[in-house]
Amino acid sequence: MTQLVYLVPLLPLIGFLINGLLWKSMPRKTAGILASGVMLLAFALSVGIFFEVKNNPGYGTVVTLFDFIQSGALSLPFAFQVDELSSLFLLIITGIGFLIHLYSTAYMHDDPGYVKYFAYLNFFVFSMLLLVLGANYAIMFIGWEGVGLASYLLIGFWFKNKDYTNASKKAFIMNRIGDLGFLVGMFLVIYHFGTLAYSDLFMQFADGVPANVSQGVINAICICFFIGAMGKSAQIPLYTWLPDAMAGPTPVSALIHAATMVTAGIYMIARSNIMYNLAPLAQNMIAIIGIATVLLAASIAIKQNDIKKVLAYSTVSQLGYMFLALGVGAYVGAIFHVMTHAFFKALLFLGSGSVIHAMGGEQDMKFMGGLGRKMKITQFTFLIGCLAIAGVPMFSGFFSKDEILAAAYMKSPVLYALGIAGAMMTAFYMFRAYFLTFTGAFRGTHEQEHHLHESPAAMTIPLIVLAVLAVVGGYVGLPAVITENHLLGRYLSPVVTNNLASGHLSHSTEWVLMGISVAAVALMIFLAYSTTKKGTFKEPSGLGKVLANKWYVDEIYNALIVKPLKHISLLLDRYVERCGIDGIVNGVGRLVQWSGGKIRLLQNGQVGVYIFGMVLGIILLLIVGLLFL
Amino acid sequence: MKPLIASALFGILMMFAALTVKERRSFSVFALVLLALLTGINIWELAETRQALSSNNMGGVYFFKNMVKVDAFNLWFNTLMSALTLLYVGLMHRNIERVGLHVGEYYALIFFILSGIYLMSTFNNLLILFLGIELMSIPQYILAGSDKRNLKSSEASLKYFLMGAFSTGILLMGMALLYAALRTFNIEQFNFSMLGSNTILAVAGIILMIISFGFKVSAAPMHFWTPDVYDGAPTPFTAFMATIVKVAIFFGFLSIFKNAFYTLQGTWALVLGIITALTLIIGNLTAVFQQSVKRMLAYSSIAQAGFMLFAIIASNAMASKGILVYAVAYSVATLGLFAVLAKMKDYTYDGFNGLAKTHPYLAAAAAVFLLSLAGIPATAGFMAKYYMIAALIEDGYFIWLVILGLLMAAVSVYYYFKVIMAMYFREGTPELAHPVTVADKILLGICVALVFALGILPDMLLSCI
Repeated sequence: MTQLVYLVPLLPLIGFLINGLLWKSMPRKTAGILASGVMLLAFALSVGIFFEVKNNPGYGTVVTLFDFIQSGALSLPFAFQVDELSSLFLLIITGIGFLIHLYSTAYMHDDPGYVKYFAYLNFFVFSMLLLVLGANYAIMFIGWEGVGLASYLLIGFWFKNKDYTNASKKAFIMNRIGDLGFLVGMFLVIYHFGTLAYSDLFMQFADGVPANVSQGVINAICICFFIGAMGKSAQIPLYTWLPDAMAGPTPVSALIHAATMVTAGIYMIARSNIMYNLAPLAQNMIAIIGIATVLLAASIAIKQNDIKKVLAYSTVSQLGYMFLALGVGAYVGAIFHVMTHAFFKALLFLGSGSVIHAMGGEQDMKFMGGLGRKMKITQFTFLIGCLAIAGVPMFSGFFSKDEILAAAYMKSPVLYALGIAGAMMTAFYMFRAYFLTFTGAFRGTHEQEHHLHESPAAMTIPLIVLAVLAVVGGYVGLPAVITENHLLGRYLSPVVTNNLASGHLSHSTEWVLMGISVAAVALMIFLAYSTTKKGTFKEPSGLGKVLANKWYVDEIYNALIVKPLKHISLLLDRYVERCGIDGIVNGVGRLVQWSGGKIRLLQNGQVGVYIFGMVLGIILLLIVGLLFL
Repeated sequence: MKPLIASALFGILMMFAALTVKERRSFSVFALVLLALLTGINIWELAETRQALSSNNMGGVYFFKNMVKVDAFNLWFNTLMSALTLLYVGLMHRNIERVGLHVGEYYALIFFILSGIYLMSTFNNLLILFLGIELMSIPQYILAGSDKRNLKSSEASLKYFLMGAFSTGILLMGMALLYAALRTFNIEQFNFSMLGSNTILAVAGIILMIISFGFKVSAAPMHFWTPDVYDGAPTPFTAFMATIVKVAIFFGFLSIFKNAFYTLQGTWALVLGIITALTLIIGNLTAVFQQSVKRMLAYSSIAQAGFMLFAIIASNAMASKGILVYAVAYSVATLGLFAVLAKMKDYTYDGFNGLAKTHPYLAAAAAVFLLSLAGIPATAGFMAKYYMIAALIEDGYFIWLVILGLLMAAVSVYYYFKVIMAMYFREGTPELAHPVTVADKILLGICVALVFALGILPDMLLSCI
């Protein structure tokens, strides 16, 4: 089964090629079925691989397809790493990916770019699969870039709207900044360790920091990689693209936020956990940036009225939790949260898509309310998503978030306290969104109210499946107070093991910590209910206004970076480019044309002249050759 | 030796067939079958030789009193050349049929040229080299003039013959000087270390051989015949001369420079370096000015020869691999481009205006071939240039030539992209001389696939050695 792993990315690639090349002539229905079908097949294969890996712990193997680059001492095979970590990600990506494809067949039903859309979607999944399957950083990087490209294409899918294309450009550029960090990190790895393959590289770390490199080098590499992760996984300071990425069709947002793209950074660091364990500086940095992102994004989400914006900031903030976990060494917790988050965030996004679909494209919660009466399935599944993300006990988010918070507590109670603050805000903004959307009186136009309807089965089935997962997904990682058998931790142990600050929390402490978070969440849900009960919106002022305007981060970036850069490039354009470089280039071009015109005259058609030229050449060459003898 | 005998026999067979068969199309079918057979025989021979070599552990298998030596490398090259000829006839047979009345003879000459190529790639003795070159050249003189009603074609034939005879004389002179110094024609017995004052004879002989070889591959300043002949000869035969024949000569000369003359590299490398530099400059700069795509391709073949000369200068292991990649990459792209060109009524750049609108498939294929010739990454042309440059850098003495080559490659983008620009960004209604058939599309598709496959996995070609 593992030898067939190449089929998993190959299937979406085939889907992409067929839909992409034949997008003009492809019937819409076939395109949708093809794109979803390849995903279902890929998922089935992933399930097979997953169980094969699961039944043979430590079975992790590298499947080499062909030699990709051979240059000097550096050898980069095109190889796939099949082990516990990658096969888990395969499941998430293909499983949720399939549901989103299925959902899209209904959601994008009337879009003129239907076939193109599915081609892009398949390409997106293909890139992501390449990213997690690669057995070295180079293959990961190919997938990494592919994901960036696919997100650019999909975010700007409705490219006739200028704001949307701007959003896609922003996503691409922000990602490129991060990519540069990743690239520099890769070059550092090649320079110091001579390989990019995970197995070769991590072997060198078997006994701690290798003798021939310093701690600083490893810190530098880890920080460079983290900069890459900042871009893809939307952390401070490169997070601003993700909320704007809402411009794409809603299923795309679900794909970006849940199954692909943003989890790439987490995956990369979890994959490199052996290296990060040797880089305490980088780890601290990750933890601090992670928690800062949690708080910043959650605070912004409180004041957003666009339902997708709320979800977008909530993703940024949840990603912050994952990085917090990585930073404190709770790698299993981070992956656990990736998994549960994939379930409930996909659920929430698809649910919001269902709402937007029913509202005829309206995304502003000011004009919603009371939708639950017409859309029972959407309401109920959305509620489950909210409960899960808020961390209500017995739902998946509770277990994963709790694991991260407990690990943070071991590192420092301050991190824990900030984490709880973030969790409280999460509960508040999610339930605020829920109450504003589904309860109370309808605030939109009469026409919209008349139009309200539950979405078709192709949309509600994914919602139901995801809702079930969002409930039960947490039971693979029960906390130590309930059972010592952490299924996910045990499963991942051959590849990823936690590296926590202190060994164990006492059971009583853990109960207390859990109690605190549950109480805080319950309080915030109540608060959310009471503030939204009236369903009125007043103009925000003071801190609220700052939050509603997202801490003015975009404006600050504009003033500090974009504007000065623009000025510099204008200056360079005006003086260096136009006068200097253009002059030289055009001069060379003219020289080439001029000399071409002259040399051409040698070719006059006379055999005698030709032979004379040859003889002249022969004599000169003989002289040169014999002189230098 | 089976392929050599077979190709000569097939040539004779075609000539006899020309006496009885009247239907033009049947010649093409016959030739295609024979070429497929010939490729098969080559593969058979390759497999057999491999087996023999693995058991006796020698460098190669000898024939004809050590005058011919075959090994896996040169047999693989022969196989590739036969397969390329098959592709060529598949792409061009309609045009070949239209050149004149003697279709059977044209194919016969192509088979004789193939025999020459087989000798050229496997020689172990200067006499066989000479035989191979002449066996390749004389049919080409005839093919160049095969369109008898066309004055330009006759002119091309005569010019080619006159200058070719001149260069043959120089080649023989070079061989004679070498024999005078070394007292043998067997290149395995060449020993330059004990020559003493006779070294000057040997060096002069080598330089004369370089000049004659430069003539055959149209290196400057022996390139003058190329534009006139390529332009005047019927288009399908220009395609054959500019690709398969040309790379075969490179292969033959690389083997003599690498295996026999390498110890004297210090003496002849500079001469070859000057020739290379001149070829790159003249080929590329003159191509810029052409109005006709066919003539541009003639200059482009000069420019590409400049790059292939890198391999001869370096004469190392990288160069051997590189010449194989370059041979296939360049031939496939140029053949494909000529196949597109042969479809057009008007050979000027303006004739291609708007082709992308009316014939998107043709235009897209042509664009891929042009990108490959310009050496854009992910195409075969890029890897080919990469190998050439890597070989020269490994050699280490001609870095200035590498820089010149890269600059000239940039110039080449100008004239290659002019065609793409005409096809995609200009308005116009190009007229086709012949309709595009499904078979054409499939073969062009194969060429495009080869261009990309080689651009991504050049090792595919080398792993078969």
